[in-house]
Amino acid sequence: MATTTAAITLTSADLLTDALSLSATNTLYKSGSTVGLDQTTGMARAFLTATTVVDIFPQLIEASIAFENKSSWVYICNKSEDETEFITVKICEQVIGKLYAQDFLWMPWSMRESANANNHHGDITVEPSVATGMAIEFTCINEGTEYPTENLATA
Amino acid sequence: MATTTATITLSSTDLLSDELSLNTTSTLTAAGNSTGLTLASGLSRKKTGNTTEYTLFAAADYTDDKAHKVYLKNISTTAAQYFEIQVAGVVVGRVYAGDWALFPWSADSTGTNCDIDITPSAADMTLEYMLFIDE
Repeated sequence: MATTTAAITLTSADLLTDALSLSATNTLYKSGSTVGLDQTTGMARAFLTATTVVDIFPQLIEASIAFENKSSWVYICNKSEDETEFITVKICEQVIGKLYAQDFLWMPWSMRESANANNHHGDITVEPSVATGMAIEFTCINEGTEYPTENLATA
Repeated sequence: MATTTATITLSSTDLLSDELSLNTTSTLTAAGNSTGLTLASGLSRKKTGNTTEYTLFAAADYTDDKAHKVYLKNISTTAAQYFEIQVAGVVVGRVYAGDWALFPWSADSTGTNCDIDITPSAADMTLEYMLFIDE
C-alpha cells in the first residue's frame, strides 16, 4: 500500500478583516477504506496548440463496472503565464469551470456517465482558449483502471 | 484588491519508484486579469440531517462565467462516509472522510443551471466549505 498525501493551504492577509490561514491534509485512500491509492497515470505535461476539446485521460475507461464511483483524484494546472488564457474543464461535457494562467484544481472523479439527457461519458476534458500554444500539467491518482483493449483496425 | 494564495502539495515516497513531490501555488485572481478576488462566502460548516441532496451554491446567486473557486472538506472521520459532489446534475466525484477539494466554478446559469449540489452518504455528516467569488 502506498501513502500519498494531498495538502492545501489557503492564505490571505487582506481578503477578510481576519486573516485567512487554512490548512488541510489528507491521505488518499481507496473508497470507503484506509487503504492507500496505489495507481496513477503519472504526471503529464501537454502543449496544446488548438482550441479543440481534449480528453486528458483517454487511457482510462470511464463508467467501467469495476471502477465507477471508486476513488480517483485529479490534478490539473494551467501553466500559461498570460492572465487572459484559460482552459475550460468539463466532465460529461458539462462545464465545471475555467482554469486561468497558473490556476490549478484538485478534485475527485467518479468516472460516472451522465444521468442527464445528454447521456455522455464521464470523460474529463479541457479546451484551451487560444491556439497559440498553452501548456498544462495533469495527473490522476486512483485505485484502479480499466484499460482499453487492443484495437488494430485502421478504419 | 486582496491577495489570496492557494498552495497544493502532493507527496508520496512509495506510490512510484520515483518520489512524488509536487508543489504549486496560485494566486486567486479574477477572470482574465491579475486582480485578486475580493469576495468570499467565509469558511462555513454545514451539518446534513439526512441523505437528501442539498444545494450548496446556487449558480443564479453568482455572476455567470467567472473565476469562482470552491473549497470543500469532508469533516467526517468515518472512512466509509462521503459527500457526492454534483455540478449541474453531473456527478463530479466523492469526497470521503478527511478529503478536501479545490476547483473552479463557472456558475453558469444561462445554458445549464450549474448549481453545486452535495449528497451525503449518511445522516449527520459535516461539510466544511468556502467560495471565493469573482464579481
